[in-house]
Amino acid sequence: MTAATTTPASTRQPSAVAGAGLTMLRLLRLELRHNAMAWALPVAIGLFWLITYRKDMAMPPMWSLRTAGLQSGAVLDFAIPVTGAAAWMGSREVHRRVADQVTTTARARWARLLVPWAATTIWAMMAYLGCVAVLYGVTAHQAGWGGPLWWPAGVAAASLPAFSALGFVIGAFLPSRFTPPLAAIAAFFIIALSTELIHGGQSPWQVSPIVTGPWDLSPQAGVATFYPFLPDLSIAQVMLLAGFTLALLGVLALPAGSGSRTARAVAAGVTGAGLLAAGTAAGLTGTGTMDAHGMIKIPALHDAAADRPLQFTPVCSRTAIPVCLNPAYASYLPVTANALAPMLSQLAGLPGAPAKLVQVSVSFQQDAREGMIVRTDGLRRGGPQPAVYLVLPDQLAGPAMTSEQAAGQLVAAYDPRLVARVTGDGPAASPAQNAVAAALLLAVGQGKLTTDQPPTTQGRIDPGQSPGVAPGTAEYAAAERFAALPEAERRAWLLQHLTALRAGKITLAQLP
Amino acid sequence: MNVEIAGLTRRFGSVTAVAGVDLQAGPGVFGLLGPNGAGKTSLLRMMATAMRPSSGSLRLLGRDPGSYGPRREIRRKLGYLPQNPGYYPGFTVAEYVEYFALLKEVPSARIRVAVATAIEAVELGDRKKARLRTLSGGMLRRVGIAQAIVNEPELLLLDEPTAGLAPQQRVSFRALLRNLGERATVVVSTHLVEDVTAACAQVAVMDQGRIVFRGTPDGLAARGDGQDAGDTPIERGFSAVLAQAQS
Repeated sequence: MTAATTTPASTRQPSAVAGAGLTMLRLLRLELRHNAMAWALPVAIGLFWLITYRKDMAMPPMWSLRTAGLQSGAVLDFAIPVTGAAAWMGSREVHRRVADQVTTTARARWARLLVPWAATTIWAMMAYLGCVAVLYGVTAHQAGWGGPLWWPAGVAAASLPAFSALGFVIGAFLPSRFTPPLAAIAAFFIIALSTELIHGGQSPWQVSPIVTGPWDLSPQAGVATFYPFLPDLSIAQVMLLAGFTLALLGVLALPAGSGSRTARAVAAGVTGAGLLAAGTAAGLTGTGTMDAHGMIKIPALHDAAADRPLQFTPVCSRTAIPVCLNPAYASYLPVTANALAPMLSQLAGLPGAPAKLVQVSVSFQQDAREGMIVRTDGLRRGGPQPAVYLVLPDQLAGPAMTSEQAAGQLVAAYDPRLVARVTGDGPAASPAQNAVAAALLLAVGQGKLTTDQPPTTQGRIDPGQSPGVAPGTAEYAAAERFAALPEAERRAWLLQHLTALRAGKITLAQLP
Repeated sequence: MNVEIAGLTRRFGSVTAVAGVDLQAGPGVFGLLGPNGAGKTSLLRMMATAMRPSSGSLRLLGRDPGSYGPRREIRRKLGYLPQNPGYYPGFTVAEYVEYFALLKEVPSARIRVAVATAIEAVELGDRKKARLRTLSGGMLRRVGIAQAIVNEPELLLLDEPTAGLAPQQRVSFRALLRNLGERATVVVSTHLVEDVTAACAQVAVMDQGRIVFRGTPDGLAARGDGQDAGDTPIERGFSAVLAQAQS
């Protein structure tokens, strides 16, 4: 070894802020190069692909659905690895046996520890943003209308520094070789248990970062399509996560010797402010109620401007009677139009037939006894031209369904209503009216004609009133006879006699 | 005096590791000899501000490390190599030394030179880009010395610095110690008495937490006259002092 001959390096404290900043940047560069999160990224990205991306891509290309899936999925996908990696980094000085060496340096403990925490968070954030970019990029390519919802993505992003801080603090205060896996498991249970505690529509636990809307309501396609996205819950969640992050980072500077008395006092203040912010966020969430459009409205955070409906130009089918949907549902149009087209062809041009079918929003109401109540406007007249208001199955609370299932529900719900609208319905309907209505349904392949009305349940469109025609009756026989006519003949008869039929002046015997 | 210690005591439960040590040291290389468990490491850890004393007074570089501000000033001018130093295996030699330069608040403009100088001083210039996990135990020891001297400390505390070094490296290291001792106070804890003979101007012998000899290496050697235990005069002196202390 040789004697050092150069001028001694000055050990004066850097007076310039720029010098101190540069020093911290150099430390950050070193920590970024040697951060455990870089090794955990494949796990996080793999989890994201497996749990979130595939599930999101299986959903219709609607921003509301995919963003909700992104938030709840990405929080889990990234929070667990980042907690484990941060716990490893937090305990590194002890398990690498460099604690004495670094403790006896001039850099304050809290400043020294913030750098690897920041590096861990930056790695996780970069990977997360990359995943969001891919998912949003694909969705932007597929979606017909609207744009990304940034608040839910922001909530998931805000969870990264929070869980990184949680893992880091656990690692720093409880260093052992078992700390990183135990911290990761703890993060999983914290996230999972946070939703287990949700009871009722005004639970403060809905502030959990994986909650994207009223907990009793599954992610809604209708959210942020007819009305703007309400960021109230997201704001509370970001407040909670930012509060926890501050509180946890403040804890790093609390132990004796971590820094100057002033720094420790500031840290205590930061910890207190963070806890206050987190508590406030949970408290505010507890005051939230579900609004009519399926989102949580928190009075203290609510912007009334968000209650105004969105303006859009509907997309319409080229069917005999146009079916017009919100452009966000453009991908639903082919299935919807194909499902209803046979009946629309039967009815087009007949007196009483609607000029078009127009999709409308649904409204939600949370009831203490009955749970979630979904209200639909159903079949109504409106506008200068008579129109039927349409609600798609995916607008309702309930399990996701295939295109075939959705088409089946649409036909079951709307064909009887459309027919009844043309032939006339109600208790006073004549046997001939019922028979013609049943015949029109038979003609489009709907053979099951009963007076039993299926129950209204969540996730199912309230079925239309089926004509009261049962097999074996004279009405049913007339219906079969009328349905067997060639379409042109049937249509010609209807054009000629529909007014009389609706007036109850046609008897069963007069039906062809 | 860069080191002023009076009645310094450190207890671990019922065990007294350091028992009322009085010590002063100015610039130069100061050897701290003693058998295993004598309290050398505990004394050095207190001098390094890694551990608080149970009682007694400690002033380093003219400051009391008991409060944060002076302690931070001391640490800026302090170098410390623990007895069993750990390391970050993924770091390269240069990165590891730079990491400590940054923690020791070496001004940004001087870091590159300071790191290169420290690495050259321990003769690892050709391995500066090697990852620490690829280095031998002796090389890691030299990396530890490099991080200790990267801030050109005014007080350098080395706990068994030559353990694991090859004979040739040990000779070079002693030359480095002598050079550092010209402008700083270097306290070297060791149980290898030849290190003391070669590099130290002053020496103290610890046993059972107490200083049982304080003087020059020649003075320690003189205490061994007529003793049989040991191959060299200073080894015989060391043995004689310990025997006297334990009798």
